[in-house]
Amino acid sequence: MASLLEIELTKLKNAIIKIGILSESQIAEAMKTLLSDPNTKGKKLKKNENKIDKLDVKIDEICQNIFALQQPVASDLRFIMSAMQISSEIERIGDLAISVIKSSKSVKEKYDLVVKFNVASITKNVEAITEKTNECFETQQEKTIEEIFALNKAIRVATEKVIEEIVVEMKLNSKAVGSGTNLILALKHLERIGEHCTNIAESIYFVINAKTIKHEKTKFE
Amino acid sequence: MKDIKIEVNKLSLYYGEKLALNEISMQIPRNKVTALIGPSGCGKSTFLRSINRMNDLIPDVKITGEMLVEGVNIYDKNVDVVNIRKKIGMVFQKSNPFPKSIYENIAYGPKINGIKDKKQLDEIVETSLRQAAIWDEVKDRLGDSAMGLSGGQQQRLCIARTLAVSPDIVLMDEPASALDPISTSKIEELVHQLKEQYTIIIVTHNMQQAARTSDYTAFFYLGELIEMDKTKSIFTKPSKKQTEDYITGRFG
Repeated sequence: MASLLEIELTKLKNAIIKIGILSESQIAEAMKTLLSDPNTKGKKLKKNENKIDKLDVKIDEICQNIFALQQPVASDLRFIMSAMQISSEIERIGDLAISVIKSSKSVKEKYDLVVKFNVASITKNVEAITEKTNECFETQQEKTIEEIFALNKAIRVATEKVIEEIVVEMKLNSKAVGSGTNLILALKHLERIGEHCTNIAESIYFVINAKTIKHEKTKFE
Repeated sequence: MKDIKIEVNKLSLYYGEKLALNEISMQIPRNKVTALIGPSGCGKSTFLRSINRMNDLIPDVKITGEMLVEGVNIYDKNVDVVNIRKKIGMVFQKSNPFPKSIYENIAYGPKINGIKDKKQLDEIVETSLRQAAIWDEVKDRLGDSAMGLSGGQQQRLCIARTLAVSPDIVLMDEPASALDPISTSKIEELVHQLKEQYTIIIVTHNMQQAARTSDYTAFFYLGELIEMDKTKSIFTKPSKKQTEDYITGRFG
């Protein structure tokens, strides 16, 4: 029979997996909107956002109860400390998905810029990094952590390059300023999503190895 | 709290002139674990012992108020104390097996209650030992002396002995304080399993143990019940400052 602590830890793990899946679907929706500017499924997104917020609070509660009632130690302790951080990182990722959609809306000329600067190659990586991050939490494999850092680097390099190109475009073509600015904002959000994913990967590294690699990203880059 | 097993109304207890419990009122839920915590001398053990009228054995004890078990005040004059103790088992801090075989320790109570059939006794012994999570460790040596068991095993044997007479309520007074961490966690797991069938009240000095094992926690201080609530609430957001100070180690 599983101990009470084990039952609570499983509950916590499942809640994080669930919130991760929700944020993954928010990201997928946001990327679709960014690329093609169709009618967004605003209602579904809003509903998911509420679910994410509620789960985030619930995860904090589960963690608080485990700390107060079960006195976790060693790997259990690390897992719970990380779970709290991971949950708020995921919640932020969900918020950023909404921000991407907001900055993608009502920009008529954006689509041309999106195609011209191959934004799709970045959104593909953003979807990949969120998927990888969820997978990494579930499997707790160090190999996946490396992949997350690599994807983040690719996203960062690509967004920096595209932003520079958009700035050049805006200088040449004043009509592109409105949509260009919005696109830059959206790209900045994508970059942040990658950063949040690496923060999660760092937390998972801490769970696995009992060693913190915060602020020493060179380890994987 | 819907399903109340024990209702206490303004129960006061005096040892001679000394007031040990001051107008305690509380409700203890059925099939849950209720932990009693508080510093030494706060009255928690006195309260526990008043649930099966163990305090009757101490001279100069005076009790006022009501202790209703299933609606019956156990301090009523016409209540048979032996019957009460049959329904309310107790496990003590120090394991106290009889100097008899493992089998006889468990069969002793049922035999006194008139069960003579060997097959039936065998069944009770096995069921009780299984419930107390010690069957696998002793099943091949039921004839051996109980005194040869380890401390943790002896304590689980005593729990099995308590269960053998089919009580409704099990009182535990510091049941794991003399045990090593592994035996302690076995007892704690056991407490959790037993609540499916029994109402359990446990006195413990170990606050973490109260947190881990109980559904409800009552905090006693200087003979008064300061606060009783769901264990989750007591250990995350107690409503009284005294409780907060005690559980955070600021006094007591």
